[in-house]
Amino acid sequence: MIVFCGAVLVAPAMCQRDLSYDNVVVPQDRVDARDLGYAPVDVIPDGESGITSLTVAPNGDIYGATSGTRAHLFVLNPRHGYVQPLGVIPGVTSVTNAVVVSADGDVYLGTAPDGSLLKFSPHEEYQKQIQIDRPLSVKNLGKPVTGESIAAMAIDRTANMIYGLTYPGAHFFEYSIASGKATNLGVVAETIPFSEKFEKEKMMSRMLVVDAQGEVFTSGEGGSFFRFDPKTQKLEKLSIQAPAVPGREPWTRVDAFLLDPSGLIYGGTSDGYLFRLDPAHLTVTNLGKALSQYRVDGLVRSSGGALYGVGGGKDDMARLFSYEPSSGAYDVLGFVDVNRRPYYTWQAYSIGAMVCGLDGTVYIGEDERISKLYLFYPESGQK
Amino acid sequence: MDGNWAALKAGSDGKVYVGLACHGCNGHFVYYDSIKDHMVDVGDLTSLSGESSLGLGPQSKTHAKLGEGKDGRIYFATHGGWWFDYARFATPEGYPGAHYMAFDPKTGAVQDFGIGPRFEGINTGAYDPKFNRIYGLTHPRAHFVFYDVATGKKVDKGRINNWDSICRTLGIDDEGNVYGSFGAGRIFEYNPRTDEIRELDAKLPVRAKGVSLGRDYDKSETAWRVVVWDHETKKFYGVEESASTLFSFDPAAPAGSQIKILGQMAIADLAARREVPYATLSLTIGKDRKLYYAAAGAEFDYVSSAGVAASHLFTYDLRTGALVDQGEMHVPDGRPVLGTNSADTGPDGTVYFVGAVSTKGDPPGEGYGGKIGDTPFRLALFILHPKGN
Repeated sequence: MIVFCGAVLVAPAMCQRDLSYDNVVVPQDRVDARDLGYAPVDVIPDGESGITSLTVAPNGDIYGATSGTRAHLFVLNPRHGYVQPLGVIPGVTSVTNAVVVSADGDVYLGTAPDGSLLKFSPHEEYQKQIQIDRPLSVKNLGKPVTGESIAAMAIDRTANMIYGLTYPGAHFFEYSIASGKATNLGVVAETIPFSEKFEKEKMMSRMLVVDAQGEVFTSGEGGSFFRFDPKTQKLEKLSIQAPAVPGREPWTRVDAFLLDPSGLIYGGTSDGYLFRLDPAHLTVTNLGKALSQYRVDGLVRSSGGALYGVGGGKDDMARLFSYEPSSGAYDVLGFVDVNRRPYYTWQAYSIGAMVCGLDGTVYIGEDERISKLYLFYPESGQK
Repeated sequence: MDGNWAALKAGSDGKVYVGLACHGCNGHFVYYDSIKDHMVDVGDLTSLSGESSLGLGPQSKTHAKLGEGKDGRIYFATHGGWWFDYARFATPEGYPGAHYMAFDPKTGAVQDFGIGPRFEGINTGAYDPKFNRIYGLTHPRAHFVFYDVATGKKVDKGRINNWDSICRTLGIDDEGNVYGSFGAGRIFEYNPRTDEIRELDAKLPVRAKGVSLGRDYDKSETAWRVVVWDHETKKFYGVEESASTLFSFDPAAPAGSQIKILGQMAIADLAARREVPYATLSLTIGKDRKLYYAAAGAEFDYVSSAGVAASHLFTYDLRTGALVDQGEMHVPDGRPVLGTNSADTGPDGTVYFVGAVSTKGDPPGEGYGGKIGDTPFRLALFILHPKGN
């Protein structure tokens, strides 16, 4: 027996997971996660894996791009179910909501900091061995706006046109896939809003949306909506604004856009509001907030018609919510967490992109130093 | 005060500095004056952070190692207590974030360097006197962060792990490189010269997982629990979480040979069991070239302990490789040491632990830490004078 001197000093360790935590996360029969590659070796490295772009190709493949010390492109074929890294995007550190796929299956990447528009033409990618460090074979289509990074892109597959926003100048551009010509069509923000010294950016939306008529919508300075009419080639500042707490309009962005089959546009703002924009009548309806948090980091429509979104900012913990347009009802589904003990567990705190696949599966891209792709099944048991 | 984790430093001035935890209330920074043989309460961490009466989640802990700078100051960071399943994360009433701090023994004053990671606590940490930095892993988002004292820069290097398996000790070598455990028994290295995180090929001797519920559900079994750096052999010595396996980690060794298993720091009757008591943070290197480790006699985590049992003192002789269970730990009046979660060695070779000891039957009051089962306990600093010191 060892005898100690004792000097009496004037709990529990609740930093571990217990069963109650399952009550605050997305139901575990509706969510899963994928490593970005074949773990543990053939995966997109930590520090390069933040998912900041996701898109659905016409054939149903999910393409994604990462940001970090290097940027990677990956694909997920829902039939195969795993993420296949396709290579390092040369000279690029960031691709933010700027991956689009044309009707013929070519993948276009809007890059930062270089600002080039790149084209990747997939060809039997699933037959190829994963080589994480392999440069992605791309064709450089030039810089739509000289001296500017590409901050977001959208595509009109019918018109074969790509639209985008640039950083830091907030330029709006179009790129004709047929002619290979890029046109700078003006800016959506002229000045940096009056702010604290650490806020040095013009305000523009983090996404764009093309409506059923081929018109393109963004948000710009003052939270105002901008519309581009391809027929008249006119970029117009509209008299309607994204919902904001009064007084916060100068710092308001649209985080996410979604075109509903009805022709209406849904979106989420930096203040966390969900809204509906009627492009025919140019009216905006504030649908309120699902969460007390800022941001709508992603927004999708499920095959059943419900909307699913994720809120929370970079310093926060992301939560998934749903919105039922027919009833106006929100439901907070919880943290984006996957618990498959004893095999793996992981929780996403920051979300960079979100899409809904052709089969109804919702894909949620985590944007952190170590990131995974989450699969959420909207209506339990029926995709 | 209801617990202490990692926060113990035997200073060069003969004082022993301790961070005490209090869930739902204010943690305290205290020290034991070995010359005067008394304990001094420097203050509560919420007040020292300038946050008392603000209605914020309190600064309830120092949950990481304390360190001594070349200027003689004791550097540390704070942590939150209750997390409410993160329902209050980033809310006005939630935890505002960990503060980096320094205590100056000459003046008795604490300097607050302000909040580092917003809304998060420093769950794990270490101070490096070479680069004069306080390093940390945050809870819950498991980011690797640091505060550069000289420049005042606060840096967030991003996420390292999942919240439920954040390793509880960062190790720092003589060159100022920082090491931590992540993933399934893996190790990362942060190099302050390049400012880069590198993931090593080394693999900790983590026991294969069994059922997913029970202890394994509540507590991580994939990381090292504690490591200490040996200036002589230039190796880390550590205990991992799953079976209290003792290992050495030589960062300079070729990949594949950096980790060596040295034994198991568990009481013989319990060592082979699935429910071997969870490894403690109580490991230190003595002046006599022995590792001192306090193993729990039953799953120990203060009021969340599984039962009442005396801790055992283990020694591992770095010269001979002899691993010895020295037996139960008791204070002079016979009361057993119910568990510990920090250890350090003083400049004179005295070994210190902080943990729980049963009360003498006095009613709950000042210093009452809670109950383990039906046994009320107090927090205590345990002092061991190894033979030959």
